[in-house]
Formats: sequence, structure tokens, C-alpha cells
Amino acid sequence: MEKHPKMGIYSTLLSVVIAFVVVLVFFYGLNHLIMGMQGLPLNLDLTPAG
Amino acid sequence: MMICMQKKLLPLLLLLMLVGIAGVAPAANPGMGDVAERIAPVGRIQLAGQPPLEDESEAAAQDTEKVEAKAAPRPTRSDYPDIGISSRAIVWVLAQLHLFFGALVLAVPLFVLIIELVGLISGDERYDDMAHEFMKISLTGFSITAIFGGSLTLALFLLYPDFMSYMMSVFGAQLLVYASLFFFETFFLYTYYYGWNAFRYGNLKWVHLSLGLMLNASGLTIMVLANSWATFMMAPSGVNEVGAVVGNIWEVMKGPLWNPINLHRFIANIAFGGAVVGAYAAFKFLSSSDPQQRAHYDWMGYTSNFIAILAFLPLPFAGYWLMAEIYAYSQQMGITAMGGILAWLFILQAVLIGTILLAGNFYLWAGMSRTDGSVRYKWLVKYIALILVVTFLIWITPHTLMLSASEISQLGGTHHSILGPLGIMPAKNVAVNLMLIVTFLSFQLYRRSDKVATVRWAPAGNALMVAIYVVAIVNIIFLGVYYGYFTNTVYKVGSSVAQVVSTLVVIISGIVIDTLMFRNAKTLPSHWGRISDRAQYALFALPIAFTWLMGLMGYVRSSVKTHWHVYTVMKDNSPDNYIPTIAYAGNMITLVTVLFLLCLLFMFWVANLSGSRQPKPAALGEGA
Amino acid sequence: MKILFKTLGFSLALTLVFSLLTYLMPQMRGEAPVEKVVDLGSLTMDDFVAMGEELYNNKGTCTLCHKPPPLGRAPDILSEDMVAVSAERLADKGYQGEAKDAAGYILESMLDPSRYVVATWGKKGSNDSESPMPAVDKAPIQLSSMEMDAITAYLQAKDGNEVTVSLPTAEEAAEVASEPAGGAATLPVPAASAEEAMAKYVCVTCHAMDSNDTLVGPGLVDVGERLTAEEIRQSIVDPNAVMVEGFPAAMPADYATKMTVNELQMIVNFLAEKKG
Repeated sequence: MEKHPKMGIYSTLLSVVIAFVVVLVFFYGLNHLIMGMQGLPLNLDLTPAG
Repeated sequence: MMICMQKKLLPLLLLLMLVGIAGVAPAANPGMGDVAERIAPVGRIQLAGQPPLEDESEAAAQDTEKVEAKAAPRPTRSDYPDIGISSRAIVWVLAQLHLFFGALVLAVPLFVLIIELVGLISGDERYDDMAHEFMKISLTGFSITAIFGGSLTLALFLLYPDFMSYMMSVFGAQLLVYASLFFFETFFLYTYYYGWNAFRYGNLKWVHLSLGLMLNASGLTIMVLANSWATFMMAPSGVNEVGAVVGNIWEVMKGPLWNPINLHRFIANIAFGGAVVGAYAAFKFLSSSDPQQRAHYDWMGYTSNFIAILAFLPLPFAGYWLMAEIYAYSQQMGITAMGGILAWLFILQAVLIGTILLAGNFYLWAGMSRTDGSVRYKWLVKYIALILVVTFLIWITPHTLMLSASEISQLGGTHHSILGPLGIMPAKNVAVNLMLIVTFLSFQLYRRSDKVATVRWAPAGNALMVAIYVVAIVNIIFLGVYYGYFTNTVYKVGSSVAQVVSTLVVIISGIVIDTLMFRNAKTLPSHWGRISDRAQYALFALPIAFTWLMGLMGYVRSSVKTHWHVYTVMKDNSPDNYIPTIAYAGNMITLVTVLFLLCLLFMFWVANLSGSRQPKPAALGEGA
Repeated sequence: MKILFKTLGFSLALTLVFSLLTYLMPQMRGEAPVEKVVDLGSLTMDDFVAMGEELYNNKGTCTLCHKPPPLGRAPDILSEDMVAVSAERLADKGYQGEAKDAAGYILESMLDPSRYVVATWGKKGSNDSESPMPAVDKAPIQLSSMEMDAITAYLQAKDGNEVTVSLPTAEEAAEVASEPAGGAATLPVPAASAEEAMAKYVCVTCHAMDSNDTLVGPGLVDVGERLTAEEIRQSIVDPNAVMVEGFPAAMPADYATKMTVNELQMIVNFLAEKKG
């Protein structure tokens, strides 16, 4: 598959953006999971709940 | 047919006869039943005039009476033998040297086994030879461990007899189990080492690996048994408030600190072992002029550093678990360690850990000169160094200090207004997690420096890796700062777990992504031996810092019991029952470190000696 | 050989750097506590309060945890009026202990810290049902009842409140002086409940528990109505101090040396509940 020359930079940018979004979501979920497991629930904005 | 029947009948008849005789015979002699029964009423002969015999049933009843529980002894000062030198100093030196060598001889077989396995799987005999060489240089270490162990035992019995008699009564037969394990360990050690070349290929190789596995198993069991004595002294279990044993041996052994210490020592041993053999490799590298030899020892040094740093990464977490269990067992003990008289000690620990990480990283950066492909990553090194230095400074910033009144007025309060907040756990957790992440980064960059990825998804993989690093670092800082300073204690402590997990995510994903991404990678030329001499000194700094750190932590372990032999159960009434000053401890630790160095030199020298042969002098050559 | 000297020299130098750092740090020796002999014959209340303060700061190791926020791992007692605070806590619906006054509350906090856990100070994960504070009368702190009374006196006096604990009596002084020294003595197991303690000290041989009948001493069915906990305690520890009219001085005067603090406390609490 030939890559459009101009797309080269965009595909790199896209993959970086996607990577960051995926990883951010992952760590956000990880925070909820780890804190929740210890009996320390969090609100959606990561502040302590209850 | 008659004969068959006769054959079957005959045994039956014989049986009947026997039964008949046995049954009838007693009847034939009346009064001849069970002998003991018959003479029981008159079974005991008592001569006239003699005092009456003790009633047997009463004695039996006394035996089955509950044995009164025996409390721990309470020796007075004069009960402690005095041989003119501080008993504690003697035991300190012997115990610490025993532990240094014990750690070494437990660690080496572990990574030797793994390297041997790597050699078998990869088919590269150089791994096998290196594993063999590691075993050779540490062989004398086993005897040295035993010598110090035996001397330690004698010293303990001589100088602390009441304490030892109590420990013997608590642990009982477990001590014999411990002793018996040395038979197994010796058997497996000698067969594993001396059988190396005899059991080299095919099925015999698997036999050899099994011997190595059994060597490790016996060594590990020896360690956990001995650990139970130390943890019993810190947090006794299976005994009541006055020290009488109320549980079984398993309950005595499995106290709250046993498994944390087991894990911590297991991992730390590996790191320590790697560091020590790295020093050997560095020394041999510097002493050789032959390029092939230098290449060999450079590779050996790299492998040792790899083992040491790899094992070092999870160590702070094992230590944190140990400290958490200490706090859970006794808040007082925890605070004595980190908020009371021993608090400054942990600043010193921070300095030592910083030394270890800086030395390890420096060696990795210096090693990048081996590969041409490393040039792409050189620009990152200064940022890693910057992060390491800043986090190290945060790591060593103290918080809770014992201050005099004038110091308080100078400081303007009990804590420094700006630096104070950097001294508490959230800041330190941020610092240590970041130090570990950037150390892993140095690792990863070094590993990548001789490869070029050929997989199609390499750019995406790299994007993912960068994202993981950046987000993990931001997450760790966020967790530490927000939960550490703006929420309550419980959330603050809980956030440290999330930080650790973030670091582990980086490490695990880094390993997984790199393994997948660099399959069938194009390798760039790398030159073992092409590294500065200066970098080899990092491989000396590592074991020195490790050794001193082990000695320091031994001082903590013993002092945290304050004036108790066995905490809350048996008081220490010896002349040395105080916690010594940190300068005194520093002197003792330096003493044991120097002694360890000398014994290590001996160990390495003996290893080399066995391989050399004096050439025959010319004068004796002719004739004769 | 040169390599040996260089590498050994480097190693020794690094070792000495670490050693040097230990000299730069403040030097402290952790001394073991020494058993002090207190002359109780001439003890005034001021002395007793001062003794309590000294115990609070040293042998009691209270300041290890009871520090001002954010450092403290326990409430900051010194900055609070403990008598006022005790009253609040006793009035709290959630209070399920057996103390009736400030002194009782303070003592209960030392003997059985988990009886009432101040909000947010409980052990992590226990939802404030379990206190991380160790029992003060047990090892490793092991304060005697006289020492705990001294601390109680200090905590009452420090904010100008009235001290309601009494000075130690001769019996209690004897208890401190006769601490067993040395030997692997077999120690009797302390009673675990009030009933067990009263059986152990055979109170029922002289006192009827369920009526006002006189056996040798007064019946105790409503003793909680007639006497305060403090008076009950005094009757046990120092029976000859206040005698009920018409009764002989027959009660043993050595319970103070025989009973553990916990046993005494349990009996006092039990009797204080008996209101007929």
C-alpha cells in the first residue's frame, strides 16, 4: 500500500494522538481500579468519593 | 478328585487344630489367663517394713496434668557473660559477614541457573561458560558463609546464653531441620559444580539443571528458616505476652514480618549477588590487555549490572511492604524507625540508593559507546541525568527531625517552610518511582541501541511507548501531589500503590513491546570491550554501596527492637542494651564492609589460583 | 597490582564517604528505660502531675504518635482540654465504653484504646472500629496503674482542671517496689472477665452479690448506687481507708499487689453497674 507523501506526517501525528488517548484512558481506569480495590473510591474527576 | 480335596482340606485341618489347641489349652489350665492381668493386684512386691510404693495411677495423672507454660527468661545485667570486648560488637561483625556471604551464595546459583538455561535455549555455549565461571568464583563463598555462621552460633551461645536457651526452646526441632538442609545443599552444590562438564549435553544437561534447581531450593529453604528467627525477635508470634509458647512451630515462624522479609531478602540477594560478581568482571577487565579477554569480561560486567539493576527495580516495593507490615504490627516500632531516633538513617539509605541508581545508569550510558546505533539516543541521556539528580535531591530531603529548641527557632518552626513538604512520603514516592522509570528508560535505550526494528508497526509501537512513559510520569506526579497534599491520610497512603502500579506498567509494557517489536530486527555492529576504563569503577561503586546499605539496614533491623531481645517478650538487660549512635554504627558498618572486601578478594584470588599452574623451572627440566 | 590498588583504593574511599556522612548527622543514643524509685511518702499532687508529664514525654512514649497535625498519628492531646473533650466523648451516642468521668475515660483510653476510637484516627480499613494505639499497661510500654494515674493527673491539671485521681497509696508503692526481678518465674494467667476475676479473688466468700445480706462484708447488689467507681476502687485497693460502720476490718488489704490493673478495672466496672 503506497502512502500519500503528505499523509506521512499526519499518520505519525495521528498514531501519537491515538496512543496518548488510549494510554490516558488506561491510566485513568487504572487509578480508579487500584484506589477502588483498597476501599478508596474516587469520583469521576478523581477526587475522593464519600 | 480325592487328592485335590485332600490338598484343600489339609491346611484347613491344620488351622482348626491350631485354633483348637489355642482355645482349649487355657481351659485345660484353669487360672492361666493373661499374665499381667492375673498378677496385677499383687504385681508389685513390697517388702515388709518398706515405705509404701507410690500409686502408679497418681503419677500418671500428674504426667498428663497440664504443663505450666514457661515464660521467657529475665536475665539481670550480671547474667550476661563479659569477655572484655563489647558482646554486641562481636556478634554484629560475625552476623553481618555471615549475612553478606549468605546473600552472595544464595544469589549466585539463582542467576547461574537462569543463565545456564538461557544458554541451553539459545544454543550459545558462551552463556553456559559464563554461568560456570560465576559458580567457580563464588565456590569458596559457601565455606566462608559456613565459617561465619558457625562462629556466630558459638558467639551467641557464649555471650547471650539466656537468650539462646529461650530461642532454642521456642524453635525446637526446626533448628535440626535447618541443620539437615546443609547436607542437601552441600550435596547439590558439589554435584552441580563438579559435574558441570560431565553432565553437559542432552538428557544429562537436564539432570544438571535439576541439580542446580535443588541447590537453589535448599538454599532458599535455609534462608527462610533463618529469617523466621530474626522476624520472631522483631514481631513474636505463637507466644503469649510473657513468651511462653502457645502455638505450634508454624505459628511461631509465620509472624507478620516473615514473608515481607523473605521477599525483600530474596530479591535483594539477587541484586547484591549481581553487583559483587560485576566487581570481579570489572577487575578482570581492567587487568587484561588481550582484546578477547576484555571483550569477555566486558560482557560479563554488563550481564552482572543487568542482573543487579533488574533485581533492584522491584526492591523498594518489597521494602515498602515490609515497612507497612511493621507499622501494622506496631505503630510505635514503625515510628521509631522512620519518625523517631532512626529517622536520619533513612536519609543515609536514600544517599546509598541514589548512589546505586546513579552508578547503574552511568554504566549503561557509558556502555552505549559499544554500539554505533546508540548515537540516536545520546540526546536523552542528559535529561535522564537531570531527572535522576532532582529526584535524588528530593529523595534525601529530610522531614521529621529531632530538633533542639534553638534549632527550632532557627528553622522557624519544627519543619522547613519550603523544603519540609518535600520530605514526606508523597514526595519521596514520586521521587523513587521516577528514578526507577528513568533507570528503566536507560536500560531500554541501551537494549535498543544495537537494533533497528523491521516490523511494520514500529512507529505505532514507539508512539505507544512514548505515550506510556509520558502519561505514567504525569500520573505518578499527579497521584503524589494531589492525594499526598490535598486529601486525607488514607488516600495519601493508597495513592502510593497506584504509583507503584504505574511504574510496573511502564516496565512490563516496555519489555513486552520491545520483545515484539524487535523480532527479526536488523542488528547494528556492537563491540564488546569498547568501553572506557572509567566506567568499570561504576561496577565497584555498586557492590560497595549495596554492602554498606545492607549493613545499615541490619543496624535498623536490630535497633528497631529498642531494648528488647525479643520485642515485648524478652527484655535486653545486657550492658549494650541501648541503640548506638549513628556514627558508631557507621564505624561498625565500614568495618564489616572492609572485612567483607578482604574476604571477597581472598575468594576471587582462590578462584583464579585453581586455574593457574606454575611452570616447571628450567633447572629441573633436564635429565633426572 | 596497580589495578588492585586503584580499585581497592576507590572502594575504600567510597566506604569512608558513607562513614563520614554518619558523622555529619545528629548523634543520639537510644537509652533503655531505667526503673526509677519514687519516694511516695512525700509525694504532693504537684509532684504527681509533674511525674505524669515526665512519663507522658518519656517512658509512656506518648509523644511518638500524639503530635500536632499533620504529623500526628493520634489526636493532639496536649492542645486539647482533655476534661472537656472527655465529657464530649462520653456524651457521644457512639460511646460504648464504661467510663463515667474524665479520669475514667482517659484511663480507659490507655487500657483499651479500641473501646472508643476518635473519628478518622482508626486503623486503615477498620472504619474507625480499631485503634492503632497499643494498650499502655502491656509490653512494650508497660506502665503501672500508678503511672497511668500520674498521666491522667497531668492531663487533667494541664488545662487547669481539677485532678480527680488520688495519690498513690502505700500499697501501690509496695507494688512498684516489689517488681519481680530475674528468674524464669511462671506467671499466673490474668483473668479475662469480671466474673473470672471475682472468682479468682473469691469475693463471694464475704460479699453477697445478689442481695444486701451480710456474709462477712456488706452485700453488693446495689453498690453501684451507693458508691462511685472511684470509691469502689478505693474499697478494694485500700479497704481500711473508709470503713462501713459496724463491719470488722477483715477485708484483705493486698489486692493492689495481687490484681492486675485490668482485673481491678473489670471488677470496679462490674460493681459500678450493680444498682439493685
